[in-house]
Amino acid sequence: MEIVVCVKPVPDAETRLRAAADGTTLDIEAVKFVLTGYDESAVEQALLLKEANPGSKVHVVSAGPPPRTEEVLRASLALGCDLATWVEMPPGVAPDPISAARALARAVSAMPHDLILCGKNAGDDEAGVVAGALAELLGVPDHSAVVDLRWDAASSRLRFQRSTEAGMETWEAPLPCVVALQQAWNDPRTAKLPSILKSRRLPIAKVPPEAAPPAAGTTRPTKFELPPPRTGAKLIEFKTPEEAAQKLVKLLKEEAKVFP
Amino acid sequence: MPDFSLTPEQESLRDLARKFARTEMAPHAAECDRTSRFPEEIYRKAYDLGLLNLNVPAEYGGSGLGLFEQCLIVEELAYGCGGMTTTVIAHCLALEPILLDGTPEQKERFLKPFCAEYHIAAFALTEPSGGSDPGSMRTLARKDGDHYLISGEKCFISNAPQASLYLVFASTDPTLRHKGVTAFVVPRSAEGVTVGPDEEKMGHRASSTATIRFDNVRVPASDRLGAEGTGFSLAMRTLDQTRTPIGALATGIAQAALDHAAAYSLKRETFGKPISEHQAIQIKLANMVQAVHAARLLTWRSAWLIDRGQKGTLESSIAKCFASDAAFAVADEAIQTFGGYGYMREYPVEKLLRDAKLTQIYEGANEIQRIVIARELLRGYG
Repeated sequence: MEIVVCVKPVPDAETRLRAAADGTTLDIEAVKFVLTGYDESAVEQALLLKEANPGSKVHVVSAGPPPRTEEVLRASLALGCDLATWVEMPPGVAPDPISAARALARAVSAMPHDLILCGKNAGDDEAGVVAGALAELLGVPDHSAVVDLRWDAASSRLRFQRSTEAGMETWEAPLPCVVALQQAWNDPRTAKLPSILKSRRLPIAKVPPEAAPPAAGTTRPTKFELPPPRTGAKLIEFKTPEEAAQKLVKLLKEEAKVFP
Repeated sequence: MPDFSLTPEQESLRDLARKFARTEMAPHAAECDRTSRFPEEIYRKAYDLGLLNLNVPAEYGGSGLGLFEQCLIVEELAYGCGGMTTTVIAHCLALEPILLDGTPEQKERFLKPFCAEYHIAAFALTEPSGGSDPGSMRTLARKDGDHYLISGEKCFISNAPQASLYLVFASTDPTLRHKGVTAFVVPRSAEGVTVGPDEEKMGHRASSTATIRFDNVRVPASDRLGAEGTGFSLAMRTLDQTRTPIGALATGIAQAALDHAAAYSLKRETFGKPISEHQAIQIKLANMVQAVHAARLLTWRSAWLIDRGQKGTLESSIAKCFASDAAFAVADEAIQTFGGYGYMREYPVEKLLRDAKLTQIYEGANEIQRIVIARELLRGYG
């Protein structure tokens, strides 16, 4: 099976974030970008499928600016992906979701692809647009919020579950298709030190950016604000759980007045 | 101008060690410290990720890192737990003599099977009579045909209870003092090897330390490293390689102490405001961060010089001595910042002081480092 995984570099959750000088985007100066969240689950799913189906290949693709896009591709190679393709974008901010989907579709359509895996949405903008748009551009079906994906060779069908508010749905679907994955149902592996060293020496295929991207219809950020700092928290110091409970009840009664 | 930025590869290695230290080591550090437990499951995971045989070349199954990259990893691991990191460092220390003076045949024979699965090694140099004076070594290796018979006692040996391989220094001719010292590779399974009980230590309690007795242990001459009498030189050249990572280990402890103190100072209030707004605490934090940065830069420079093929005797002694003194001072100030809470076992900083203390003592006590530093310094004026 030819498995393609699409990933996006997003700011590390431990990075201290701030707005850029023009106030419209995140300041990417000194931000560390990583492979994380849903994308990490997607890579893990691709590797599990490859291991369960000998002869499969995992091709990781990302569209974005240097150097962070190269870094998440190398991180994916270190985890065990076989090939990497980078759709190069100009330095600076990441492409908007539609531009990203167009860039990915151009790269994916030029490579063998049975199954295209994406994270359900990126950990930074939470847009959740790319997987659906990519499927549309490739002319294949897409399935969202998927967990636990398996390939049934006998029936040539993917079998997977979708996690919804109402419950767990079980589906089957033919290839090719795009699948957008939920986070944290699998336990993404950690790249080993020798694989990290080896990944630095593996080639990354580069696809140049579109010569004349369509100007109309694209979105543009107008303002970026950090959430206001949280206030009002009160730490209770205590020696025993009993003391903690007593102090908490006293505060709830006398200060918060949630019960008489 | 020198470039202090890390390459993307170095950053990836550091991130791997950081993640491992914070998710696998740190959560168990307090428990292992309290119960003096050697967490084998953690070292097995470290082995699986390539974080154990750091200094062994890839061709023998190790990670094949330069000293600079080893130091990046060791600092991160020590941030998670100094004691657990001592196990890793003592393990690498024991393998270093094989890398330095082993023949290609010996490297192949000892390192390949050793690194092919999880194993621990121990470096057996120190004796009850003293660790800083290998010339007065009492462990003897008597020639017996194409074998040696080793007898004697080694003490304070990190990893002794868990190691399957010992790097043993013994005298083949005591009259020659340090020129009679010879190095041997001895399997734990050899007849006549007995390991004493685990020592109760002040710090680094996740690591194991014990005495090893050798009673007429038969070792084939083919397991001797280098010629007879070259062991002292080998031990010194080994320590030239491994002293710098002690600086990294101490820097990791110091960074942890600083982070705890700074975070606590923003939370803890006295006289109606966070103690971070009192100058007395700001001055402490300012001094602590200077010590941490200086320790790291001295360690980096020493590692960088040695990676470029220089001996780095002066620089590695400066890095080890300064960083370990800095770690002790920074941990001390972290406790002071925490006040009474800092003295309590429930909080993490008192462990850091106990762990920092050992870095001033092992792999050449800081008094010895200062003798070396002065000697190297004066050489430039003589």
